[in-house]
Amino acid sequence: MDATPSLIHTFFNPDILAKTAPIVLASAGQTVLLGFLIIVCGIGLGILLASLRYYTRRRTVTALIVGYVDVLRALPPLVLLIVVYFALPYVNVSIDATLATFLCLSAILSAFIEECVWSGIAALAQGQMEAARSTGMTWSAAMRHVVLPQALKIALPQITNRCIATIKNTALGSVIGFNEVLGSAQAASSDFANPTPLTLSALVYIAMILPFVLFSRYLEHRTGSH
Amino acid sequence: MQKRIILEAVGIRKDYGALQVLKGVDFRVREGELVSIIGPSGSGKSSMLRCCNLLERPTAGQIVFDGIDITREGVNINHVRQNIGMVFQQFNLYPHLTVLGNVTLALRCVKKLSRAEASEIGMAALAQVDMAGKRDAYPNQLSGGQKQRVGIARAVALHPQIILFDEPTSALDPELVSSVLGVMRKLREAGMTMLVVTHEMGFAKEVSDRVIFMDGGVVAANDTPERIFAAQDNERMQSFLSRFLNEK
Amino acid sequence: MSEILTTFFNLDIARQVFPFLLEGLLTTFKLSLLIIPLGLAGGLLLALLHTQSHYRAVRILVNCYVDFFRSFPQLVLLIFVSFATPFLGLDLPPILSLAISFTLSTSAYYCEIFRAGIGSIPPAQTEAARSTGMSAAQTLAHVVLPQAVRNVTPDLLGNSLEIVKGTSIASVLGMSELLHNAQSAQSVLFSPTPLMLAALIYLLLLWPAVRLVSNLEAAMRLRSRH
Repeated sequence: MDATPSLIHTFFNPDILAKTAPIVLASAGQTVLLGFLIIVCGIGLGILLASLRYYTRRRTVTALIVGYVDVLRALPPLVLLIVVYFALPYVNVSIDATLATFLCLSAILSAFIEECVWSGIAALAQGQMEAARSTGMTWSAAMRHVVLPQALKIALPQITNRCIATIKNTALGSVIGFNEVLGSAQAASSDFANPTPLTLSALVYIAMILPFVLFSRYLEHRTGSH
Repeated sequence: MQKRIILEAVGIRKDYGALQVLKGVDFRVREGELVSIIGPSGSGKSSMLRCCNLLERPTAGQIVFDGIDITREGVNINHVRQNIGMVFQQFNLYPHLTVLGNVTLALRCVKKLSRAEASEIGMAALAQVDMAGKRDAYPNQLSGGQKQRVGIARAVALHPQIILFDEPTSALDPELVSSVLGVMRKLREAGMTMLVVTHEMGFAKEVSDRVIFMDGGVVAANDTPERIFAAQDNERMQSFLSRFLNEK
Repeated sequence: MSEILTTFFNLDIARQVFPFLLEGLLTTFKLSLLIIPLGLAGGLLLALLHTQSHYRAVRILVNCYVDFFRSFPQLVLLIFVSFATPFLGLDLPPILSLAISFTLSTSAYYCEIFRAGIGSIPPAQTEAARSTGMSAAQTLAHVVLPQAVRNVTPDLLGNSLEIVKGTSIASVLGMSELLHNAQSAQSVLFSPTPLMLAALIYLLLLWPAVRLVSNLEAAMRLRSRH
């Protein structure tokens, strides 16, 4: 017996594909939107925190930022997600799964971004800031036009990698019932007693993430050729 | 009749914790003058220069620029700095911008000039340092001497009333020094007021109107180059100068 | 305040569930000790294939493997392996599904790290070793790899840290590791304390690792600048 047709029939059944694709693809749209919001907010907050850490002379502020970053880097994302989603209702704060996913993943991303933008800033010579200030630029103008463009360029490969990790982590939302790609595929898969929706969800995730992976390859290639 | 005073340091002191780097420094720079600051390393020359545009805040004393005490609270230092140019030992060019981009950044985001206006002024400044041909190059494509000339153009483009030079040739290979000193000579002839921390004794002797010799955080001598370089009265200055002049 | 404390960190409950959580922690350790060596071995093998092969096709295949599994969320892969294989008539025990899916994806990450490490060693090192009569394999083992591994130690540690964090998703398969035990305790005792305690345990264990990785990275940056 030839195994190939039965494999395709099981894992990529056209009938079931036709029935479940709309559900899975609809949740794919939601996942992309949420992923986009998380990336924008996470990167924005991360850059803000790194800039604040560079600006401040107060030890307490630095310690708070480093503590925030360390805690969020040490906790597994799923643990944070479950703690936020299942523990908050005990004090009568009910939080919806989408919001919980958004908050947790944005916070985690901001911590990683803070770390790599901060190392980008630290890798720059102090002279860059001084040169800009000596021409009369304000601190924030110098930051915007001179320090951050260079620091972000240095950090770009790491930022790309964290974006990849973040989009992958949206799949964790399914555990608390956020109806993203994996969650809806699992439901459809058990409804139809067939793994085709799961295959589809895997393909959807790969299609979402592969561009970032290829972009990071391009970056690596570009710096490697210098 | 004496020209007006552009920059005046009054009793400048600077402490880093327990370490006293400047112990009360006074001097004046008049319009059109080129004043050199020389002295052994660790004498506080660079700290003094960096106090002049408040990259370092003096612990005590005043910097009076164009008749205004800029060390007072409430002075808009960013506004003042547009009129005090600075050239750095390590150039500190912005590696992510072209030569012209380096020169025009402050024109555009501090003086709010349009791209065209800023380019025109930037090109004029680059022409003054013979770097107009490299307007689209990036800093890492330039030699040290070329980088420093762009650094000078960045300061010149803002049309400051004075330019501070912090050992502008110390990071250069010997064969590249003369091109930078040449540009500085030209600036002087054009009437620019300059305050130069330097180890180039030949330059200090030939081009300066006045030389300030700093030692141990104070001004040990402040006089014309002829008198400084013929000085008999300060033993430490003599030993310092003879070491440098013998090297030549 | 004290009310929040008795809800989120009820000492009686904490004492009661602590042994149960420790049991889970032990499983987390065992899983990590199973997966990390498998991933390291797979990654090293792939990296050697990529850097030592004379065939372009091999390098392209390795790149495809790496990009594919970097784009595949760990949870999606795990669900796919464990929920789709039964449709083939295979009934994999959860531990095997976990080992397969983690090895597939973590070896892709380790491969990238080893490859960067090997690439950071100048060819002159190989030439020098070969000029003394060492074989290609000896050169790799005694000259190239020791230096390569040292250069990428922070990344290797960082990736291993991510794997330890990643084992928390085994809870989705019902494996009784730390997060899973905390969740069961939470639902049985109707208290968020087990979840908070589990998060605290993760934090206490992984925070030093996070600091170590950060410090090593900073030290590396400093070294490469001089």
